[in-house]
Amino acid sequence: MANQVNKLAYVDSKLGVSLPGQQTTRVIYDSINASAAQQYFEFFTNFAGKTEFQTNLTTNKLDSAESMVIKSIQIICNSATANLTDHLNLNITVGNQVVLKDFDPSFNSSNRGLSFDRLHSGFNDSASLEVRLLTDIVIPPQVNFKATLQFSNALLAANDDITIVLKGYGRIFSAGASF
Amino acid sequence: MSAQDKMITVANRLGLTSLKDMQGTTRMVYDSITTAALTHTFFKGAAQRVFPLTNVGANGNQFQVDEALLVEKIGFFIPTDATGATYLGLVGNSVKFDLVIGNKTVIKDATCEFGGEQAFYNDGTVGSSVIDLEGVGILIPPQVEYYVVAKTFNTQTRVATSNRLGCYLFGTGALLNFNTTI
Repeated sequence: MANQVNKLAYVDSKLGVSLPGQQTTRVIYDSINASAAQQYFEFFTNFAGKTEFQTNLTTNKLDSAESMVIKSIQIICNSATANLTDHLNLNITVGNQVVLKDFDPSFNSSNRGLSFDRLHSGFNDSASLEVRLLTDIVIPPQVNFKATLQFSNALLAANDDITIVLKGYGRIFSAGASF
Repeated sequence: MSAQDKMITVANRLGLTSLKDMQGTTRMVYDSITTAALTHTFFKGAAQRVFPLTNVGANGNQFQVDEALLVEKIGFFIPTDATGATYLGLVGNSVKFDLVIGNKTVIKDATCEFGGEQAFYNDGTVGSSVIDLEGVGILIPPQVEYYVVAKTFNTQTRVATSNRLGCYLFGTGALLNFNTTI
């Protein structure tokens, strides 16, 4: 996991971010309340009226002294009629660059799931899946980002909830030494 | 960088030059609150609780001289009853939490999503309630207070829930070793 540390430091230095900051594990998430038969979702673009459990951001960029690596993506589906086992299409855009393109996380749903590491079996669930990325994708400070998710069917009902969680090594503001 | 390297690097920066001579160990501290609530603060005031509600002992929410913990995993559980002796996973619930060391928030607004990583607490068909810290981990130095503020919510509907709750910190540690006769 030290690669995440090196990559974040490398990209931050390339972008002129000089503050050392506090090393941390960063989790950001956004949840969308679906309308009936909705198939396309755009995350991290609309934060109005959401609770602290629906999103932990207020804008679609990290603060000036904050950055993170996307290492893990979790998708959660709250629906009685739909799940995550059919094909999905996930894109993540940082700035004006697509950093994850036409990715299908559904292969990690239900009993087809890959485990988080190679020592444990995967979690058998069609309503929650997590994919561990093989590359370290950096969200630099003050750069817009978004994620889009396309369902292959129109099974979602009104008021179903779709949540995306991005997790990885990060850096938050610190005026002193890092623990 | 290994966990041991990180501990020594941070300790040196903090002026704790003797930590490298202490006994290496694997350490886990936990605290549980058996009154259901929307928000829980763990480890702060834990010296007032006794085993099996917590294992921090009389030192409470700080490690004694030359003892430290590099937090590598943070997990949550639900005590079955007021005794705290038995506990279960957070079936269907996730936890939003902050980790504070000294007067600095070192993990902010993070979530431990139920059914995420399958690394430590549970395996296979049961969802876990643990989060692996990325990078190497975060060091809790000796004699510095730490605590975790946590709120539970339904993983799917994202609505706050009121629960009993417990929290554990797991990772590489250091134990006091005098290296001389006493």
